[in-house]
Formats: sequence, C-alpha cells, structure tokens
Amino acid sequence: MGFYKLLFMSLTVLFGLLMSSVIFAEEYTIDSSEIDKKPYHLGGYAELRPLTFGLNKDSALYKLKFYNQKKHDNIYEFNGALQLEGSLEYGMARVYARTNTTYQKGYLGETQATTLQEGYLSLKPAASLKIDAGKKTLNWGKGYAWNPVAFLDRPKDPDDPELSREGYYMLTADYVKSFQGPLKTFSLTTVLYPEYEYINSTYATSSRMNFAGKAYFLLYDTDIDFILFTGGSKTTRYGFDFSRNITTNLEVHGEFAWIDHFTRKFTDSSGNMLQTTYNAKSFLLGLRYLTEKEATYILEYYRNDTGFKTGEMKDYYAFINRGYNSYLSSGSTMLLNKAATLTTGSYGKPNPMRDYLYLRASQKEPFDILYFTPAITFITNISDKSTSISPELVYTGITNLELRLKAIFLAGGRNSDFGEKQNAYKVELRARYYF
Amino acid sequence: MLKIISICAMILAFALPVYAIDGTQLLKEVDRNLNPESYESYRKLINIEPNGSKKEYTLFTVKKGLDKMVLLFIAPASEKGRSTLRLGDNMWFYIPNVGKPIRITSLQSVVGGVFNNADILQLDYAAEYNVEKVEEKGKDYLLHLKAKTKTVAYDRIKLWADKEKKLPVKIECLTEAGMLIKTLYFKQVKDFGEGIVRPAVIETDSPLYKGYKSLMIMARIKAKEYKDEIFTLSFMSHIDSIR
Repeated sequence: MGFYKLLFMSLTVLFGLLMSSVIFAEEYTIDSSEIDKKPYHLGGYAELRPLTFGLNKDSALYKLKFYNQKKHDNIYEFNGALQLEGSLEYGMARVYARTNTTYQKGYLGETQATTLQEGYLSLKPAASLKIDAGKKTLNWGKGYAWNPVAFLDRPKDPDDPELSREGYYMLTADYVKSFQGPLKTFSLTTVLYPEYEYINSTYATSSRMNFAGKAYFLLYDTDIDFILFTGGSKTTRYGFDFSRNITTNLEVHGEFAWIDHFTRKFTDSSGNMLQTTYNAKSFLLGLRYLTEKEATYILEYYRNDTGFKTGEMKDYYAFINRGYNSYLSSGSTMLLNKAATLTTGSYGKPNPMRDYLYLRASQKEPFDILYFTPAITFITNISDKSTSISPELVYTGITNLELRLKAIFLAGGRNSDFGEKQNAYKVELRARYYF
Repeated sequence: MLKIISICAMILAFALPVYAIDGTQLLKEVDRNLNPESYESYRKLINIEPNGSKKEYTLFTVKKGLDKMVLLFIAPASEKGRSTLRLGDNMWFYIPNVGKPIRITSLQSVVGGVFNNADILQLDYAAEYNVEKVEEKGKDYLLHLKAKTKTVAYDRIKLWADKEKKLPVKIECLTEAGMLIKTLYFKQVKDFGEGIVRPAVIETDSPLYKGYKSLMIMARIKAKEYKDEIFTLSFMSHIDSIR
C-alpha cells in the first residue's frame, strides 16, 4: 500500500468520523438516567444575600430601635441561607421534610437559626384520597400579596410573597372527585389543628383541638373555595375565594373573610391598652394581565378589616415618640420597652393598616435577553398615601443559579405607615443556587 | 357554450381530489398518529441562544382524552417539582413550597424561550381547530386551521402533513391577522413501540426571537389512561408519585 493511498484512506476515515460526529450531534436523545425515577429525593438551595439599609433617622421606628446607639445613615447586613428538602416514597406512603437554616451578621451581631418548615407523612390509598400528618403549609387563598382567607397559614411578606413559609402541625384529609359537565372538579379538605402547650403553641395560648375545612369547586371554568375554621383557639371564621380567566390573558381573583367577634387591641398615645370587638369583614380583589409583549401586571386591592385605623397608628407613633423623649430626658426605657413589645405584635406586621393597593409590573425577557426579568412593585397605603416602591432585576440564565438585585424605597409623611418605618430604602443582592 | 361546459368540467376535475379529502378526518388521523389519545411521555426542552449557549429542562407529561394534561418538571434542580395542569382552556402553574397553584394563560411560557405553554401542553389539534381548507403540496397535505374559540393560543395554523405517514412535517402558528408567531419543524421519525411511530424532535424558531431556537425531544411515549382525579389542582403537588 503506497503512502498516498494510506493518507487518502486515513483522511477518508477521519472525514467519515468527523461527519458521523456532526450527524451524531444532530441526533437528539434523552438519556435514561435523566428520567428514571428514584424512590428518594434530596435537594434544596444555598443563598447569599448581602444588603444595605438607608435609615430614616426621623422615623418613629428608627427611634425605637436605635435610641441608644450612635446615629447611622446606613447599616450593612449579610444574610446566608441553606434550605434542605428530602423525601422518601414507598408504595402509597411518602415522607417529606424541609428545613431552613439562616445566618445573619448585622449591626446587632451574629444570629443563626434552623427551622423545620414542613415535615409530614403522606398516605395516598387512592388517586382521590390523601391523608397527611405532621407539619405543613396549606397555602389557602387566591391573592398574590395577601390572603385574608388563609386562616391556618403564617402571613406572606408582601415584599416577597414567593418565599417559602413555615407550617403548623396538623392532620389533613383531601378527597377529590372529577366530573363531566359544568362542575369539573370537587374536592374537600378537612383539617384537625391542635393547639396545646407543646404543639402550635405560638399561635395562641388555649389548649384546644380545632377544625378547619375547605370545599373546592371548578365550576364553569371558575375556581371557587368555601372555607371554615372553628374550635375555640380563635373565634370562628368563614372564607370564600374565586379565580377565573376572563380571556387568555386576563385573570381575576378575589377573597372574602368573615371573622366572628374579632378583638382588636390597640394603644392610645399614653400607652394605655384599649380594645374593640366586632365581626371583621376583610376582602381582596385582584387581577393578573398579560400583554402581547409578555409584560405581566398584578393588581390587588386589600381591605383588611382587622387592621389599625389611621388614628390608632398615629397614637402608636405618638407613644413611641413619647417613650423616646422620656429616654432623652430621664434615661428611662420603660415606655420604649412597652412600645417594643407592641411592635413585635400586631403593630409590627408588614402591612398593619386597613386599605392597601398592590401593583406589580414585570417584563419577561425584554430586548431579547433570555431569562432576564425586570419588575417593579408598588404597595400603597390608601389611607395615608404612603408607598413602597421596589424595582428588581432577576436573571436565571445559568442553570440552577438565580440572581436577583432588588431595592425597596419607602415614601410617606409623618405618622404614615411607610413614612415611619426605620428604613428609607434597602438594596439587596440575592444569589441562590439550587442543587 | 360547449367551451364553458368543458372549462367547468376541467375545473371540477382538478378540484375533485382536493374536495375528496375530509380535512377534519385527516386532522384526527394526524392527531392519533402523533400521540395516543391518552398517554404519558418524557420530554426534554432545549433553549439555544444565538451565542450557542443552551438551557435544558426535563419534563414528564400525561394527557387524557381531549382536554386534560399535566406536566411535571424533573430537572434542572431549580425547576424540579414545578407542575402545570391544563383542563380545556384552564391552565394552572404550581411552584413547590411557594403557594397554591396559580392560573396562567396559554400564551405565557413557564420555561422561557420560544415554546410557550400551549406548545408544551398541546391537546389534539382537532379538539381546538376547525379545518378550513386542505391543499396538496407535492408529497404533503397543507391544512389551514382556524381556532374554534378565542381562548386558543394561535388563531390560525398552517399544518403540513406527510401524505403517506399522515404525520406533521411543519406547522406555522399565526395571529388572526396572519402574522407568523413561530414555526415548528417535526424531525427524526422514530418507533417508540406499541405502534407509535412519530417525530422524536420538534424544533421551533420565531421571528419574534431572532437567532433563538428551541427543541423538544420526546421519549418513552406510552399509551396509558390515568384516573380523572390526577388532573386536579389537589394532585399538582403529587404528580411525581405516578411516574
């Protein structure tokens, strides 16, 4: 065999191999290992979240928190989080657990905490029946930022409604049935919710077994829920919610909650506690609209009948200022300590008042930048016209990595909801890696 | 007069083969050749950017009858456990640990890229579209489809189907005004067993996403009929249990 013949054959084989690799590259397949199911699952995410606060040094809540410290314009904080979740399946049984560990280094020093957010045993004897026992979240309601009918869930943070939350210990049974015709689905969820010294004790102090239930109907293409909670740990409450797509790009939703004999405790400007009892009627109305250019708007109005009135909040801020002046003149922290206790209760909720408007606008992949979503959120207290404005940029282009840069600016006059918060603004970067 | 009659006869003679095709029946055959009426399958979606970088998603899907479908993300880790349910025109999206399923629309995309929810949760074409016209184009039929209701993602569709195999070759998705939204190309016809022979890869591009391309690769397509209760909001967090 001559040299040139050998060279020609080698080049032919090489060309053939190259071509076959090109053809192979065009042959798309799914590897079995990617889709074979395992009886267990382990996963979660690790998160880094440095942030800086710009302080509002004239605000009541700044005085309450920083009264004995040097005045700062800014404070910095570093947050880390590790969320772990795992499940194991065997036949009709499944065990699931999710823990969340947080680390914070800020002006108060270092803190670390681990919480079992959910952990339960689930039995599924049939496609239509499921029984869960353990700690879990129910996530009732249709609202995006608020859920007045979520009687057995911890409240959402409207600044970040998609954060996972801690559940409560309970026993639940879900029954679901499908039909042909206008009623497509019916499901019934029943809940036994114990509240004793060593179980769910943070909710209230009474030792009672409570009952809750939710009946769901998919009727004429509308999601409808009727909700009940009763048992003595809290007064009986009733809920109703709905959600429906009016067109392919417009969804409307709403919630209505009735709380029997709700007692609201509030302070006067001297720190004397007062209370009033009434049947509270809260509701939420909202819509989600998608434009042709894939901008999504979420608009919600929340009437919180359990919240404080403008005058009551004014008295609360006046009481803090009175405590601060007392500290400046006498060094006594007695009034400020009492105000701090009130703040960790109902007054410290993210939106403690009565009338709020929520608007979020997000644009998916503008300028053809794939996996990039800028958004801006407004939360306005209608009563005092104070507002929170939160622009954010989210990028998810790298597999399993989510990057979010977010700022929150608070605007409002004296004695207003957002005007008396300790911060004027907050900027944070969140890097979350899923595994 | 004789000339007019002979012209009419010629027109009829040419037109007859086209009118002989029952468009609705043909579309139903295309649907059945593409998938069994009730089935489960695995899919991989690959979004390819103009610079060549890729992002992949692996999905498990189950369809039942004409109007029910669920989809579960099994990879990557950031999406695992997310699920989408379609019941006729209703669609919901569930994110684990975050909250209850939320209603979404068919035009949205839960994965980014060129495919939207309607492409991934595609029901039978005959269930959503009427056949307005069928043309013969060489070795293909060209079916002109019009959405039955306003709630369907694309108002008009042009579907090229192989005459012999009665399988789609290319689909153009159009707005009511006839503007092209995207084109789907059906490639790599493969035998999945149990008599299912169909394209294993669907490629799509769009004038709205210049330079971007998305692929959907099919695997393990199996005729299977699940109970109706699988297709409910309560079941969205447990779809993995039926894999």
